[in-house]
Amino acid sequence: MLYLATFNWGWLVLAALCGFAMGWVSVIQRGLALSDRTIKKCAALLAILILVSLLRVIPGRVGYWLDLGLVMFFVYLTGCATGAWLRALVVSRFAPQA
Amino acid sequence: MSQLFSWMRKWWPGLIPLAVVWIAAIWTSTAPIEAELAARSVAELKDTVLDKTQISASGRDVRLSAEAFSEEGRHSAVSQVEAVSGVRLVNDDTRLIAAAKPFIWLAERDVVRVTLYGNAPLPAIKARLMDAARAMAGSTEVLDRTGMARGAPPRFDNAALLLIDQVGKLKEGKVWLSDTTVNLNGLARELGNREAILAALKNLPEGYVIGENAIRAPPYVFNANKDPVANTVTLDGYVPDNNVHAAIVAAAGRKFFSEKVVDNLKASAGAPQGFSQAAVQALGALSRVSTGSLSLSDKDVKLSGDALFEVAAQQIRDGLGGELPQGWKFDADVSVKPSASSVDPTVCQQLFSELLGKARIRFESGRATIDQDSRGLLDRLIQTALRCPSANIEVAGHTDSDGDNAANMSLSEKRAQAVADYLVLAGLPNARLKAVGYGSTKPVAPNDSEDEKAKNRRIDFVVK
Repeated sequence: MLYLATFNWGWLVLAALCGFAMGWVSVIQRGLALSDRTIKKCAALLAILILVSLLRVIPGRVGYWLDLGLVMFFVYLTGCATGAWLRALVVSRFAPQA
Repeated sequence: MSQLFSWMRKWWPGLIPLAVVWIAAIWTSTAPIEAELAARSVAELKDTVLDKTQISASGRDVRLSAEAFSEEGRHSAVSQVEAVSGVRLVNDDTRLIAAAKPFIWLAERDVVRVTLYGNAPLPAIKARLMDAARAMAGSTEVLDRTGMARGAPPRFDNAALLLIDQVGKLKEGKVWLSDTTVNLNGLARELGNREAILAALKNLPEGYVIGENAIRAPPYVFNANKDPVANTVTLDGYVPDNNVHAAIVAAAGRKFFSEKVVDNLKASAGAPQGFSQAAVQALGALSRVSTGSLSLSDKDVKLSGDALFEVAAQQIRDGLGGELPQGWKFDADVSVKPSASSVDPTVCQQLFSELLGKARIRFESGRATIDQDSRGLLDRLIQTALRCPSANIEVAGHTDSDGDNAANMSLSEKRAQAVADYLVLAGLPNARLKAVGYGSTKPVAPNDSEDEKAKNRRIDFVVK
């Protein structure tokens, strides 16, 4: 995994930036939020994909693409969390006192 | 935490650009990562002994295809590739090389190249055998057609290296190993090499035995070439020892009185019986042709050239066969040199004097029998006599002053008559010839030393 990250560090930075921007926006966004049920389905799908990756079920290039996709997804999530947290800090600092 | 979940519910739109980035990443990184992993795997296996190794990567999975020389080596190779950083899976396509039974290895030499065939047990041994073959062959081309196989007998490399040395002693042929049995077939390069090969085979590693040894010795060759342009007679080939060598060179010096003898003979054992006698007789025949070559190969004598006149050609064709030792074969390809133009008697006398100035007609000591060494000179005198058909010739015999006068007179007459008879046999009319003996009455040098006396023992040709 370290090798994968080292080899594709540029793309991972890009994924992190995407995530950071999405997280930054999500704090004040009033757009469509996913339902609990959808979130659970997505989590189940993710768990299956992680399992498939760890068990090395898919061979060759497709297996590599899956691994890379999962790594990028977690980097994206990390970026989202970081962006959202920082934005929340900014918002709370400048929010009018009650 | 509940706030984080609330934010998380809104992160999904970012998956769209993430998907774009992911596609771009797999588009640009797949081929480079495959190339790098393949290169790393190749580097990892650099020092591993494998044959027909092929490595390819698909994503982060590496396919290793190779022939290993042992089960242990095979597993080790797979483990090494698995340990390469970044490799996810190794598709093991390795197998053991086939075992050869019997284990055959062969080295063959022909006129233009040395070729190695059969099997070698390891690449290092294969390379070592090839290096040894190149060192042995010198400038001769060496081809390696050996493959790899298991099942070589113990100390195979030592045995094969020793056999490669023996190939260097062959002109053509092959040596091969079938398991621990050594076989040899072919023609030795030089006399004595067959025996040298036999001696070397005693150093074969323990357990190796000689199956077939059909190495033939090369023919015992003696050649002489008479070159009238360079005015040389070149001797090459073999003579059995230094004594025979000296005798043959001395005989050549006497027979080829006006040519320089170039001696390239080498001493070597293995001469056929009667070699010395045959060589001297054959050189006598060669001395009678104006240009030609002589070849003795074992017991076969071949002579080709141009005789000076028809009777000489016939005498050479008929004569040498009977003079050779028993068991020798003679093959003459003798033609007749075109006759030279006629000259007047004065020129004839000059030509006689020139020839007899270079050499004397020799006789057996105290007798009137013409020495065989003088045949070449006599042929040239006859050729000259044939050029002046109108001249009468006095064949004058002379002796030194040793002994009593009557005996000298008689000996000189007999010797002159022997020469005249020889000329008549060669086709000169008896009427043109007159044999006269002068004994010691007409010396050309003082009879005070052996050298001077030798000058007085002579036959002169006087044109009348």
